[in-house]
Amino acid sequence: MTYHLTPGPQADVADLRAARERGRLLAAELPRVREAAAAWRNGLGGLLAALVGFSLIKGRSDVSQLARSWAAWVGILLLAALIAGAAGAMLLIRAASGRPSVMPVHELLSRNAADHIEAVTAAAALRRGIALTLICAALLVAAVGATWYGPQRNGPVLQVTTPSGTFCGPAVALSDGNLTLRTAGGQVVVDLEEAAAIQAAAHCPKPGT
Amino acid sequence: MRVSNPASPPDASLPYSEITHDTYAVDAAKSFTVTELTHGTTVLRGPCPRCHALIDIPVVSGIFRSSRSVAGWLRATAPKAAEASHDEPMICTCEDEHPDRPDGRSGCGAYWILTIWSSAQ
Repeated sequence: MTYHLTPGPQADVADLRAARERGRLLAAELPRVREAAAAWRNGLGGLLAALVGFSLIKGRSDVSQLARSWAAWVGILLLAALIAGAAGAMLLIRAASGRPSVMPVHELLSRNAADHIEAVTAAAALRRGIALTLICAALLVAAVGATWYGPQRNGPVLQVTTPSGTFCGPAVALSDGNLTLRTAGGQVVVDLEEAAAIQAAAHCPKPGT
Repeated sequence: MRVSNPASPPDASLPYSEITHDTYAVDAAKSFTVTELTHGTTVLRGPCPRCHALIDIPVVSGIFRSSRSVAGWLRATAPKAAEASHDEPMICTCEDEHPDRPDGRSGCGAYWILTIWSSAQ
C-alpha cells in the first residue's frame, strides 16, 4: 500500500477538537485495555473458583465409579477444560500485563502508535482469553454433570455352577440358602446346597463362549 | 523509510495559539511522510508547519472500546483499512514548552487538515 498526502479543506475549530480528542483517546487506549483485561481476569478467576467451590454440594466425585465409556468422556472433557483454561489464563494475563519482549530500537517510531498497536493486540488476546475461559467453565460443568448423573459402572458378578447348569449375574438376594441372581435371561433362584462352585467375576462370559 | 528534516529549527518561544492557516496544510503535505506500521495503523511524521518541531501523528482505523456487549466483543474483527482517501485533522503535538499554553494541552496550537490517499502498489 502506498500513500501520498495533499492539503485538505480549510480546518475549523471542530477539526481542532476532533484531533485533540483522537490524541486523548489514543493516549488512554492502552491503559483502558489493561484495566478491562485485569477486571475480566479477576472476574473469570472468581467464576472458576466458584465452580470449584460448588463441588461442596456434590454428587458422585469418583470417575472410577462411572461406566467405562462415560469415564472416558469425562476424562476427555477434563483434559479439554484444562487446555482451554490454561490457554485462556495465559491470554488474559498477556492482555492485562503485556508480553515480555524486547523491541529493536530501529523499529521505534511513535509511542502513541506503538501503544495503539499493543492495545489492539491486547484487546484481541482479551477476547480470545474470555472465550477460552468461558469454554473451560462450560467443559468443567459438563464433566461434573456427567460424573454426577452418568450411569454407574457394573459391579462384580457371581458365577454359580449347579448340576442343572451355570448361572451368572449380580446377586440380588440371599435367603434361606437360596441365592437370587439377575442373569441375562431374568432373575434365577439357585439353591446353594446344589451349587458345585461359586466364582466371583468382573463380568459374565458372553453366551456361546 | 523516508525521514524528513525540518527546513527551520524548532521555535519553542512561539506562544501557544490555537490557529490555522492555508499554508499549514500545504507545507505539511510537502514535508510529512507516511509510514504504515500495521494494517490499519499509520504514522504521519514531519515538522509542525508553525513551530517546526518534529511530530508524529498516529492515524488509526479503529480504537478500543469496552462498552459494547460481550457477544459483539467476541465477534469483533480486525479494524478495517481506511478508505482510499480521507481527511485527517491534524494538530501540533510537540512537547516543547510554548508560553501561555493551558495546562493539559500539548503542542503550539496549530491545526490543519491533510487528505491521505492510499492505493495498492
